Amino acid sequence: MSKLQFFLLLVAIAQLVFVFEFVRRRKLLESFALLWMTVGLGGVALVVLRPVIDDLADAVGIAYGASLVLALGIAFLLLVCMSLSLHVSKLESRVEVLAAEVAFLRGVREPVAQDD
Amino acid sequence: MVLTGLLVVIPALNEEATVAAVVRAARGSLGADVLVVDDGSSDRTAEIAQAAGAWVLSHPFNLGVGAALRSGFRYAAERGYPTVLQLDADGQHDPAFAAALFAPLEDGADLVVGSRFAAGFEVGRARRTCMRWLARIVSRRAHVAITDTTSGFRAFGKRAVERFAESYPTEYLSDTVEALLLAAAWQLDIREVPVEMRPRQGGHPSTGSVKSLYHLIRLVLVIALDRVRLPIDHRSK
Repeated sequence: MSKLQFFLLLVAIAQLVFVFEFVRRRKLLESFALLWMTVGLGGVALVVLRPVIDDLADAVGIAYGASLVLALGIAFLLLVCMSLSLHVSKLESRVEVLAAEVAFLRGVREPVAQDD
Repeated sequence: MVLTGLLVVIPALNEEATVAAVVRAARGSLGADVLVVDDGSSDRTAEIAQAAGAWVLSHPFNLGVGAALRSGFRYAAERGYPTVLQLDADGQHDPAFAAALFAPLEDGADLVVGSRFAAGFEVGRARRTCMRWLARIVSRRAHVAITDTTSGFRAFGKRAVERFAESYPTEYLSDTVEALLLAAAWQLDIREVPVEMRPRQGGHPSTGSVKSLYHLIRLVLVIALDRVRLPIDHRSK
């Protein structure tokens, strides 16, 4: 195992530990935890399966294995960002409905008595 | 002119300097009930409006003019007001012109826009170009000539009030322009009448110029997608 591989392994394991800790403290929903744990495990797999990646890159015509990982990584992150934007949009419209509902539940304030 | 069943809806965000005068003018000249929808103001807009004789509905935080209007329509629909007059809280709109907006309603219109251009209002060149472009697009889609698509001086009949109570575009500029497209899609009868507008009577505009530009660009997307989009649905999400 090269120095680089060892370092990458450390990063992947650190990520798994962080995700585990966030779920334990109930700060991260299980669905998101699953996503990020898969990413961490993927990191570990990358370290272990380095020769396989080179073969794979060769098969699709990419000269350098790391480029394949980089390209796939960027594509994956874009997908994650898109799905988060969808989540946020949904939450925003829900918040808007709820906030208006709160206004109606609190009720309309009557005009202060006037001398007219 | 006193119209029965009229609710004046005034969306307000931090307009404590002007809201009282607007409420008093609306009550005085129209003899109508006035609802101020306080859209998360951090100043004393709500208390001042209440003291001036308005009913006040307060959003817990800022949701946008369109959301404030939707709450106004919902209130009108729930309490059985068949007609809504929308007024700006900054004193730009003179309730004395409201009669001109109500006349087409009695003639069967659902939405009447008060246009400042028909009465010769002057704006800067960049703004004029944008507003003309919007006017052309909206007029084509609504099959009626609208010159002032961003005017917030409007009157709504029963059909419009009931539909807008359920669904109304929230964001800045959408609350005026997109609402017209929506009304056109619902085949509501839209009309425009000339009105005079005054400059803002005090306080500060809540949207700066960079933000306006962003909203204009966003509006281009809204307009481009308008005919292929699914309807807004505020109930089931």
